[in-house]
Amino acid sequence: MREITLTINGESYTREVHEHRTLLHFLRDDLGLTGTKEGCGAGECGACTIIMNGAAVNSCLVLAAEANGSVLETIEGAAKDGTLSALQSAFHEHHAVQCGFCTPGMVMSATDLLRRNPNPSRDEIIDGIEGNFCRCTGYEQIIEAILAASKEGKSHA
Amino acid sequence: MLHEFSYVSPSSMDELLTFLEESGERSTVFSGGTDLFVTIRSGLSRPDFVVDLKGVKELGLLTFDPAEGLSIGACVTVNQLIEDTDVLRHYSVLRDAGSELATFQLRNRATVVGNVVTASPCGDMSSPLLCLGARVKLASAGGEREMPLGEFITGVKRTQIAPNEIVRAITVPIDHLDAVGGYKKLKRIKGHDLGVVAVAMITANDVSRFAISSAAPTPVLLPDFPANVEVAEVQKAAQEAISPISDVRCTKEYRSFMVDVFIRRLMEAA
Ligand SMILES: Cc1cc2nc3c(=O)[nH]c(=O)nc-3n(C[C@H](O)[C@H](O)[C@H](O)COP(=O)(O)OP(=O)(O)OC[C@H]3O[C@@H](n4cnc5c(N)ncnc54)[C@H](O)[C@@H]3O)c2cc1C
Ligand code: FES
Ligand code: FES
Repeated sequence: MREITLTINGESYTREVHEHRTLLHFLRDDLGLTGTKEGCGAGECGACTIIMNGAAVNSCLVLAAEANGSVLETIEGAAKDGTLSALQSAFHEHHAVQCGFCTPGMVMSATDLLRRNPNPSRDEIIDGIEGNFCRCTGYEQIIEAILAASKEGKSHA
Repeated sequence: MLHEFSYVSPSSMDELLTFLEESGERSTVFSGGTDLFVTIRSGLSRPDFVVDLKGVKELGLLTFDPAEGLSIGACVTVNQLIEDTDVLRHYSVLRDAGSELATFQLRNRATVVGNVVTASPCGDMSSPLLCLGARVKLASAGGEREMPLGEFITGVKRTQIAPNEIVRAITVPIDHLDAVGGYKKLKRIKGHDLGVVAVAMITANDVSRFAISSAAPTPVLLPDFPANVEVAEVQKAAQEAISPISDVRCTKEYRSFMVDVFIRRLMEAA
């Protein structure tokens, strides 16, 4: 076991963790932040995508111990005071959510994409979410939602 | 779920190399973990200690010097490499190949050195690095050594590395600075996928070089050609040099066929 301290969605946490624990399992099982999903557990599906120190990563392939001192953003931090972010609202309006399993990872990837590139083209959006699988929507509504959110140009933080 | 192991995070090169010397085969080093944690998860690897290289600052350096060339430290990620302006300007084939590797999120963690050390026949970084004449710099408590990349990779997932040793950096000389060329990778789907077969090409100083991935146990570098060589001559040399197999991803005939197609397309585009 080792002690780690990290910031998640602006809040500081200090916990003892097993050294072989993945960051994904730490978030879900130790902290109860179950918004971040586990699909494959092996880097393929993107359901576990979070933003770590400003970069989108697959949290299933990161150790909790490695994240000591990090600043994390997860889906739980997207809505502020019960109000959806512009991107979340766009997902809602464009029917980009069906079963919803891919949505947290998809929103985190799209958040990161819009920070790097506030006005992405359709192709840039497709590239930007290449690491996130969706088994329901056929992606079209998701692409529309991200395009719409980028046009609004609101804060995606 | 991963088996129980200890996480070790040395903060200096001395501490790292001493630990590896003492723990030997019980340790496995990692940087991005995008390969290691997949193999641990599937039970193929069971180290007692996983040793994080990222705490050693000097391993994170990516530097370019017009006289020395490029040095890619052990912890430099693929995204760092492909976003670097010197790489883009002087070694564009590395950018072409790197942007074909896995997904954006994975490239934020996956390292260039980790890709080369994994020595998978379908790894994306080795063939462009072979074309550029890259060298591998190794370090252990006993000292340092250096060798050409072509000698470092010895077989499928096999390299010359010893259990107490790490790759400090991969260096790329200035011999082929500003080469034109490209990287063509065949995948089963348009999105991210491991390569079914891939060809890297560079042309600089009237010399053309080609390297081929996923068509033999190790990436294959063809002998140098004059820049005005005929397509058919390169294709003939490539077919003699490769030994593709049929597997779940495609047949050996399709692999051979696509090697010729990619050579032609790369030469036509150059
Ligand atoms: C979903 C998915 C898709 C992928 N797609 C691709 C793809 O398209 N193309 C491709 O080429 N690869 C792909 N990979 C494989 C992998 O992401 C890359 O090989 C990556 O570059 C490995 O780097 P890493 O830093 O994550 O390696 P790690 O997992 O940290 O290490 C990999 C291996 O190398 C050893 N190692 C690492 N660094 C050193 C060092 N400095 N000295 C000594 N030993 C070292 C480790 O001990 C380990 O055995 C994919 C992986 C996943 C999970
Ligand atoms: S759960 Fe991490 S990529 Fe699938
Ligand atoms: S909405 Fe079901 S997987 Fe995307």
